[in-house]
Amino acid sequence: MNRQIQDAYIVAATRLPVAKRRGMFKNVRPDDMLAHAIRSVMAQAPGLDPALIADVIVGCAMPEAEQGMNVARIGLLLAGLPNTVPGITINRFCSSGVQAVADAAARIRLGEADVMIAAGTESMSVMPQMMGNKVAMNPAIFEHDENLAIAYGMGLTAEKVASRWQVTREEQDAFAAASHAKAIAAIQGGKFKAEISPYAIREHLPDLRSGEVKLRQRSADTDEGPRADSTAEKLAKLRPVFAAKGSVTAGNSSQMSDGAAAVLLVSEKMLKQFDLQPLARFAGYAVAGVPPEIMGIGPIEAIPRALKQAGIGQADLDWIELNEAFAAQSLAVMKALALDPAKVNPLGGAIALGHPLGATGAIRTVTVVHALQREQLKWGMVTMCIGTGMGAAGIFERM
Amino acid sequence: MSNFIVNKVAVLGAGVMGAQIAAHCANANVPVVLFDLAGKDEPNGIVRKALDALKKLEPSPLATKDRVAYIDAANYDQHLDQLQGCDLIIEAIAEKMEWKEDLYRKIAPFVAPHAIIASNTSGLSINHLAGVLPEPLRTRFCGIHFFNPPRYMHLVELIATTQSDAALLDNLESWLVTRLGKGIVRAKDTPNFVANRVGVFSMLAAMHHTQRLGMGFDEVDALTGPKIGRPRSATYRTADVVGLDTMAHVIKTMQDTLPNDPWHGYYATPAWLAALTAKGALGQKTQCGVFRKVGKEIQVLDLSAQDYRVSKSEVAAEVDAMLKIRNPAEKFAALRASQHPQAQFMWAIFRDVFHYCAFHLADIADNARDIDFAMRWGFGWSQGPFETWQAAGWQAIAAAVKADIDAGLAMSAAPLPAWVFEVEGVHAATGSYSAAEKKLQGRSTLPVYRRQIFPERVLGEAQVPADRAGETLWQNEGVRLWRLPEVDAGIGILSFKTKMHTLGSAVVAGVREAVALAERECQGLVIWHEAPFAVGADLKEVLQAVGDKRFDLLEQSVADFQRAAMALKFSPVPVVAAISGMALGGGCEFSMHCARRVVALESYIGLVEAGVGLIPAGGGSKEFALRAARKAAQTANNVPFDFIQPVFNTVAMATVSKSAENARELGFLDAADIVVFNSHELLYVALRQARGLAESGYQPPLPVRNVPVCGRTGIATLEMMLVNMREGGMISAYDYVVAKAAATALCGGDIEAGSLVDEEWLLRVERKLFVELLKNEKTQQRIAHTMETGKPLRN
Repeated sequence: MNRQIQDAYIVAATRLPVAKRRGMFKNVRPDDMLAHAIRSVMAQAPGLDPALIADVIVGCAMPEAEQGMNVARIGLLLAGLPNTVPGITINRFCSSGVQAVADAAARIRLGEADVMIAAGTESMSVMPQMMGNKVAMNPAIFEHDENLAIAYGMGLTAEKVASRWQVTREEQDAFAAASHAKAIAAIQGGKFKAEISPYAIREHLPDLRSGEVKLRQRSADTDEGPRADSTAEKLAKLRPVFAAKGSVTAGNSSQMSDGAAAVLLVSEKMLKQFDLQPLARFAGYAVAGVPPEIMGIGPIEAIPRALKQAGIGQADLDWIELNEAFAAQSLAVMKALALDPAKVNPLGGAIALGHPLGATGAIRTVTVVHALQREQLKWGMVTMCIGTGMGAAGIFERM
Repeated sequence: MSNFIVNKVAVLGAGVMGAQIAAHCANANVPVVLFDLAGKDEPNGIVRKALDALKKLEPSPLATKDRVAYIDAANYDQHLDQLQGCDLIIEAIAEKMEWKEDLYRKIAPFVAPHAIIASNTSGLSINHLAGVLPEPLRTRFCGIHFFNPPRYMHLVELIATTQSDAALLDNLESWLVTRLGKGIVRAKDTPNFVANRVGVFSMLAAMHHTQRLGMGFDEVDALTGPKIGRPRSATYRTADVVGLDTMAHVIKTMQDTLPNDPWHGYYATPAWLAALTAKGALGQKTQCGVFRKVGKEIQVLDLSAQDYRVSKSEVAAEVDAMLKIRNPAEKFAALRASQHPQAQFMWAIFRDVFHYCAFHLADIADNARDIDFAMRWGFGWSQGPFETWQAAGWQAIAAAVKADIDAGLAMSAAPLPAWVFEVEGVHAATGSYSAAEKKLQGRSTLPVYRRQIFPERVLGEAQVPADRAGETLWQNEGVRLWRLPEVDAGIGILSFKTKMHTLGSAVVAGVREAVALAERECQGLVIWHEAPFAVGADLKEVLQAVGDKRFDLLEQSVADFQRAAMALKFSPVPVVAAISGMALGGGCEFSMHCARRVVALESYIGLVEAGVGLIPAGGGSKEFALRAARKAAQTANNVPFDFIQPVFNTVAMATVSKSAENARELGFLDAADIVVFNSHELLYVALRQARGLAESGYQPPLPVRNVPVCGRTGIATLEMMLVNMREGGMISAYDYVVAKAAATALCGGDIEAGSLVDEEWLLRVERKLFVELLKNEKTQQRIAHTMETGKPLRN
C-alpha cells in the first residue's frame, strides 16, 4: 500500500569539487566541507526561512574522528543554520549520500516534514586506514566460511566479479581511460560549473626559513582526479593490487577522494509558499542485498526495484550516474542489465572524478539533477554498489 | 690533540659516486650539501634527480630511506657560500683535469679556513690537482678514493700530496675509520693508486690469457669467481658492471700515464672490447656487454662465432679438484704442472699478478699489507696477492715465477726484484715488507686503531684468533665464556662456537650457564663473536626430534630456549649483544632480551621463522607484545594493536632489516641501542657499554605484569588481511596457517581483547603454537627444504 501523501522536490543542489586523497583538501576538514555545502545550498534558495528545516541528514561512511561526533549537527551549526535545526549522520557505506537524499525525501513524502537538507561528506585524507581509524574485526566472521567474505577487501570482490562476469583487463582499462577522457572533456566544456560551489582553502603552514606562519589561500573549483594523459596503454602497465593473477589495478578502480555535497528538498506546499523553482522530483529509491564476495553487482538487484518504485522502465532512463567503484563491477552491471553505455556516466565516473565514499551519493545526485536540467532530459538515476554486498539506486525526474 | 669534528660535509658532483658518498655520510648522522651544475629549468634539478635515484637503488646506499632528507641539494651558481659551513669537502666530479681545475678555482674563495678538501679521483695526479689550489689551501688537500658502492666497499685510499698536513690526514683517517666505518690504505700518488692499479692489471692479465688460451668469457668467470675467493661477478661480469666504456677509460689512463711500465704493452683495450663499446654495448647499464640477458637466459659473447650464445659455467672436474686442494702450495704446484688449459690459465693469472705486485711494490704502496688489504677491501678478494703467495710458500712460488720469466712464459720479461729472493715472506708478526725501505713496516699507530681489539689481519701476520684469545672462564661445545683482562677484566665475553653460530641445545645450555657464571664473577657480559651473530635455531636438531616424534622433547627445548632468553633479560649484570651480520630467528630473539644492543651498521636482523613454517617462540613474539602494550600506554587511545600490526607484517613476511638503522625502524632495536659503523670496533664499544651500564648501577627490569593484549579481536583483524591475501592468491593456504599462528602469539592468544597477562603467559602461548606447527607435515617439509637448499619452500 502506497502511503505517500505528497512529493518531494529538489530545489537546490550543489557540491564542492572532489579532491584527490591528500590532495588539495588535505588540510580541509570534512565538517568544514559539509558546512560549506550546506551554506551554499541554502544560498540558492534565498527566500527560504532556514528555521523551517525539519532535519539535516548527512551520509558519511566512516563517521569517526574529524567526521565523527554526529558530523551532521556540527556541520549545520558551523554553516550558521539556527540551532533549532537538528541533524543526523547516517551510514550505508558508499550509498550513504543518496540514502540521505532518499531519507530526507521520505520524511517529506510522508508529510512529516516540508523542508529537509540531505548531504554527504567524506574526507579520506583524514582516515589513516581505508577502514577507519581503528579496525577491529569480529572473530565470529572467521568461524564460518559463509561469513568470510565480510572480511574481503573491496578490490578482491571486484576480482571475483571480473572473473564471474568475464570482464577482461583490457575492457577494464579501456573503461577507465574513457572515464578520464569524458571527465576531462566535461571539465573543459564547463559542464560542472553550475553544480560546483568553489571552496576557499585557507591553510596555516610553517615557513621554516622565516620561522613565520604562512597563510596560503586558494580557491578550489575543479575536480582534481581526472587525468588528461590517461590512456589504456598506460593503464595496462599497472600491476594488479588485490590478487596475484588479477586484473583490478589502482588505475581501473575508483580514486580515494575528499568531497561533500548538499541537496535542499521541499514539499509542494513550500514550492508555492516561497515561490521556489523545482529542479527535480524525487521519484523512488531502493536498496538490495547481494552476496558480500561479489558486492559490486549490487546495482543489478537495486535498479529494477527502484525503477518499479518510480513506475518507469529502464528504457525511460536518460542519464545514469553509475558509481565506478571498479571498472570490473561497472561493466558487469552494465552487461547484466544491458544498460546503454551512452547514458552511463556521460561526464565520467569515480575512476576519474573520485569516490569520497559516503559523500558520493549526494555528489552524483547533484550531478544528475543539473545534467537533466542542462540537457533538458526527463529521467535520471544514481546507483552504486555497497561494501559487504548491497546495491542502491535513486530515481529523479526533471521538473 | 683537540677534537676533530666534522659537522657538515660538502660533496661536489652528484654522479653515482658523489651521491652515494653523500648518502653514506648521511647514514652516519653527518649532514651533507650535495652540489652539481645548475640545471636549466630547476636550479637543483640534477641533484634532486640523483637523490631520487638514491632511494631506488638496491642494495640501498641509504641505511634508512629518510636519511636522504639530510642531504641538501645545491648548485655551483647559487650556493657556493654554503661551503663556508662545511668541514670536509669531497670532490667527486668527472675525471677531466680541466673541469676539476675550473671547479677548484671557483670554490677556493668559499672554503672555510679549517676545512679539508679531498678529491675522489681514481686516476688523476693528486699533486697536480693540489697545484691548482691557492697556496694556503694546499696543505689541507688530499686524495680520498672511495670504492663503488661506497656504503658497502670497505676500502678508502687516502693519498697525501707533498704538501699535505700530516696531522690533518691522520684526523681524516681516524674519522673515516670510526665514523664511516672504512678501512684505510695510504696510497702513493701513482696512477690508479693501489687497488685499481693491481685490480685492473689483474683483469687485463685475465683478458690476455683468455685470448692466448682461446677460452670463453663465461669459462673464465666460472674460474675466477668464488672458486678462488673472489666475487661472483669474477672478471668479465665485473667489467660489465663497471661499464665497458669506463674500463676502456681506465685502461687508457694507464696507457697514457705509465709509459715506462714493463707491462705497458698490455695497457691496451682489447679489440673485442673496443668493438662492443663502439656499438654501444657498454655492459649492465645498456643491458648488453660481454653478457646479456635474453628473457630468462644469460648469454655470453662468443668471439669465435662473433655472436652471443648461452652462457655456461663449466669448470673441468680435474681443475675443480685442484682448486679445492686446501694446501696452497700443493694447489699452485698442481695447477702449474697441469697441461689442462684451465689450469694453465689459473696459474698464469696468479703468476703474472704476483710478478706485477712484486715488481711495483716499491713504487705504488708503502708495504705488502696495503696491497693485500686494498684488494680485499676494494675488489672483494678474500685474500690479497701477497698473502696468497706467502701461504703457498714464498720462495717456492718466487722460483716458479722466475723460471716462467726466464722461459719467456710470463707477460713481462722484467726480472723479479732482488728483495723477493732475500725474504721468506712479506708478512710477519712485526709488520709487512716495505720494498722501498727494505724492512718490515708495522701497522698504523693512530689511536683510532686501539678501538679494534681484533682487527682484520692478513695471512702470515701473527695473531691470536678471537676464539682462542683472552682467559677462558668456562666453556662447553656450544659456547665459550672468556674475558680480556688487558681491556676489562670485569666484563665477560660470551662467544658461540657453532657453525654460522646456529643455536642448538649446547648453545642454549651454555648461555644459561654462562649468564649464571657471569652473575657470580663479572660486572657485565657481552655476547660477541665474528659475524654472523646467529643464523637461528639448529634445524638439524629440530628435524631429528621431529623424526623421532618427540614433541614433548621439542616443547622442552623451546622452554629451555625461552629460559635462556629470560636469563639474559633478568640477569643482575647487564648483558650487551654485539651484533654484526645476520641475527636471525633465535639470534634476534636472544638479542631482544639483552639489556642493550651494540650493532654494526651492516647487520641483517629479522624473525624469519615463517619461512620454515614456524613462529618466533624464543620470546620474540612475547617481546613484541610487551613493547606494543608499553608504547600504546604512552598514547591517548592506548590501542596496542596500532603497534602490533606493523610487527605482524614484519614477522609474517619474515622481513630482515637491510641495516642496523632499518632494524631500529622495524622494532628490533631500541632508541638507546648503539650503531657502530666499523664492525672491527664492535667488541670495544660493547665492552664499554657493558662497563658503563654496570657503573651506572644497573638493575634488571622486573618481569612485566598486567600486559593488555590485542586478543581475539586483534587476531581477527589480522586474519582479515590474511583472508584477502589468500583469496587473492598472494599467500598459500599454509602461509595463512603459519601467519595466523604468528598473529595469535603477538595478540597474546585466543582471549578477550584487553585481557591482562604476564610474560609467562605470553611465552606459553608462543611455545604451544610453535610445537603445534612443528607437528604439521608442511612445516616439516619447509624445514627439510631449507636445510637442503638454503631457500624457503612455499607449500
